[in-house]
Amino acid sequence: MADATFHKSGWIRAGIPRTGGWRIATIVLAVVLGLFGIALLLGGIWLIALGGSWYYALAGAGLCITAWLLARQRRAALPFYVIVWLLTVVWAFWEVGTDWWAQVPRLVAPTVVLVLILLVLPALGRARNR
Amino acid sequence: MNSMILRAGLAALLASTALPIWAQETAAPPAGDQAQIPSALPEAEDAEAAPPQQAPQIQPAQPTAEPEPQPDAAAPGEPAPDDLPAPEGAGQAEAPVPAPAERPAQAQAQVGSDWPFWGGNADATRYSPLSQITPENVDQLERAFVYRTGDMPMGDAEGKYAAETTPLKIGNQLVMCSAKNILISIDAATGEENWRYDPQVSNDAIPYSASCRGVSVYTAPDVPDGALCKSRVIEATIDARLIAVDLTTGDLCSDFGENGQIDLWQGIGEKVPGWYAVTAPPAIVRGVVITGAQVKDGQAEDAPSGVIRGYDAVTGEFVWAWDLGNPGEYGQPAEGETYTRGTPNMWTTAVADEELGYVYLPMGNSSVDYYGSNRSEHENQWATSLVALNALTGEPVWSFQTVRRDVWDYDLGSQPSLLDFEGTPAILLPSKQGDIYILDRTTGEPLVPVGEIEAPTKGSVEPDFLAKSQPISEWHTLRKDDLTERDMWGFTPIDQLWCRIQFRRASYEGFFTPPSADRPWIQYPGYNGGSDWGSVAVDTDRNILIANYNDVPNYNKLIPREKADEMGLRPINEKSPGESSGNNAEGAGDPQAGSPYAIDVNAGWRNTGTGVPCTRPPYGGIRAIDMTTGETIWDTPIGTARRNGPFGIPSYLPMKIGTPNNGGAVITASGLIFIGAATDNLFRAIDVETGETVWSDVLPAGAQANPIAYEVDGRDYVLIAATGHHFMETPIGDYIIAYRLPE
Repeated sequence: MADATFHKSGWIRAGIPRTGGWRIATIVLAVVLGLFGIALLLGGIWLIALGGSWYYALAGAGLCITAWLLARQRRAALPFYVIVWLLTVVWAFWEVGTDWWAQVPRLVAPTVVLVLILLVLPALGRARNR
Repeated sequence: MNSMILRAGLAALLASTALPIWAQETAAPPAGDQAQIPSALPEAEDAEAAPPQQAPQIQPAQPTAEPEPQPDAAAPGEPAPDDLPAPEGAGQAEAPVPAPAERPAQAQAQVGSDWPFWGGNADATRYSPLSQITPENVDQLERAFVYRTGDMPMGDAEGKYAAETTPLKIGNQLVMCSAKNILISIDAATGEENWRYDPQVSNDAIPYSASCRGVSVYTAPDVPDGALCKSRVIEATIDARLIAVDLTTGDLCSDFGENGQIDLWQGIGEKVPGWYAVTAPPAIVRGVVITGAQVKDGQAEDAPSGVIRGYDAVTGEFVWAWDLGNPGEYGQPAEGETYTRGTPNMWTTAVADEELGYVYLPMGNSSVDYYGSNRSEHENQWATSLVALNALTGEPVWSFQTVRRDVWDYDLGSQPSLLDFEGTPAILLPSKQGDIYILDRTTGEPLVPVGEIEAPTKGSVEPDFLAKSQPISEWHTLRKDDLTERDMWGFTPIDQLWCRIQFRRASYEGFFTPPSADRPWIQYPGYNGGSDWGSVAVDTDRNILIANYNDVPNYNKLIPREKADEMGLRPINEKSPGESSGNNAEGAGDPQAGSPYAIDVNAGWRNTGTGVPCTRPPYGGIRAIDMTTGETIWDTPIGTARRNGPFGIPSYLPMKIGTPNNGGAVITASGLIFIGAATDNLFRAIDVETGETVWSDVLPAGAQANPIAYEVDGRDYVLIAATGHHFMETPIGDYIIAYRLPE
């Protein structure tokens, strides 16, 4: 596929903007996740210093690493984030069980992030092949 | 603090007697009474089988449970508080107090076809014997009429309306007062207006909210039948007038006060509009009209007095004043003097006891709520207490203090209910902390166990002032467990993290954490309860107590005077008229002039920027409590998420979340609870046996008001005011909406 875009003029018009768009989306996602990750990491360190939960600093670090992998167009971003997400789910149920309203801040945003990473996955695939 | 918050996201004592024993005098048992007993019996039997928990109840007067007002922390050297004056023997009063014999008890109107008292019947149980509307047919309810009072906020009253309207139903008419005290009578079946009297209250009289929770009606036995003002509607206004008009015509009662009016500013001192206002219906005992007033919170130690006054219901003549700072004196102050300033007030609704000739006053706190070292021993003695007064003389008979040395604004906000508890004439008292007490009406002795808990003093700016222990009800509390970090909430991990950081930075030692200045402190439950002015309802046939409640913390901080001055926090008497804002949450930057600290309250502990609450839902619930055991029968969040969402955007989610709520319930003999109260603008019917919502209707405005039930020409009605509430952030309206079944 990637080769085809460079050799067949018909693919160039359709393929390059598409690839460029996905790449931009990946970069934007990486930047946004990076900012959230830094906020969680720094706030989480503050919370640990105050004697609070360790989750936020760890999740923030996980998000920062995910963002870095995304920025490098690395496919490993997905399995890495899946581990972060799974640990988040385990932690969330350990904290509040099936209190679904209490799960809103714990599960909704991390799951949205998972969906977004899945969406940009094709772009990561191409980048790696090249 | 008669208001609320945010829109986001809410045994066997009868072992020996199987029959409910306290349905006697309080409400006429309806025909369906017998039919209900089978459903009550199994529970009583189950309870019998349960391990006995009744032991403490056999000795109701435990030493620790005595309603002694002196906190353990009474500072040495200060004068000891006066002993509770006995009903006789205080006799220094120079007031023209008629001998009790001159005011015999009168028969009280019964609830049923009529809704003759704010609390339904004279006992304020909010229980109607009507039974036409049932859980089976309630889904057919349709609107009988929508009446609009026309009283909507104009000019600088915008953002200050919270009418909290509850009409009375007498004969064929509904009588009510609007937000700014317009007295209105409408036809109870059609909603057509009969008459109105507008006392022309000005906007600058609005204290915190323009509210008029209700009116009282008095029928004078000595006035000839058919004469003007034989039956009269009496209201007290936010500009502190007591007004009487004829029930059938709306004409002022010229025999009452000065052409139908009494100026309650007399003896209060400098007239500062909005500082001294009445929002509750007066109590009437043996022809004496009794009122307190709302003294706008947090302004200054040198604030209007919390004096309670009695006036003759026919002539309006002054009968007595209970100025708690001036014991033994029941007359009016001399020219140029005032009743004792800054004393605890009663802003909510008292309950009258015609038989004993008492009035029970749910007292609030001193004017400066969050700092107490400058308070007098008299204030410490009577604040945040239920006080029984001899309604004919104003003399205190007994008192029961629910918070010692209150620095949390835990005013008693609910109207207590009168009932027969295991054969004893009793009074049921809900509190903002959620504790529910049942006391002997004649003595004030608790009839249910009252416990003691140690109260934290860590972080306090005045640890020597604080009480070292506080009373709690061991019979029932609506209060939930103390907060932990994992109760913090938000919409994403980021805002939740910020709430967790706030939680860890705050001073929090659990319930009764004292105010602090070096860092914020968490007050949980917050000042809206627990139970607030909507009060509770008691099904005296099924022996079930229905209580809706708030479950919301406040995040507060004391502000040192120097900083408060920099912030420009000034009391109401140092501002130009109308300048004082009403739309901020109560306590959000109150000066507390005269004390070393101002106060900043984040009501509902809402997060910076997003406005999302820092604690998880529910923020409010409704609960059924077995009156024989004090145990919960069911408990469920009240209010859906339909109007809630981040940044104030409605989510339209139909799921129950449990919102803050203000306004009480009505229970019908047919087993339905009708209640609005929540911030979802729904008026709903709940099955009293199961707690399931069986019907609801979307209202055009917030229903922060107590509903009523009545009957006209053989058809039952339920009615609620959708008048909105600025502090609850529900849309303001002027709708009075009645429902009935189709013919």
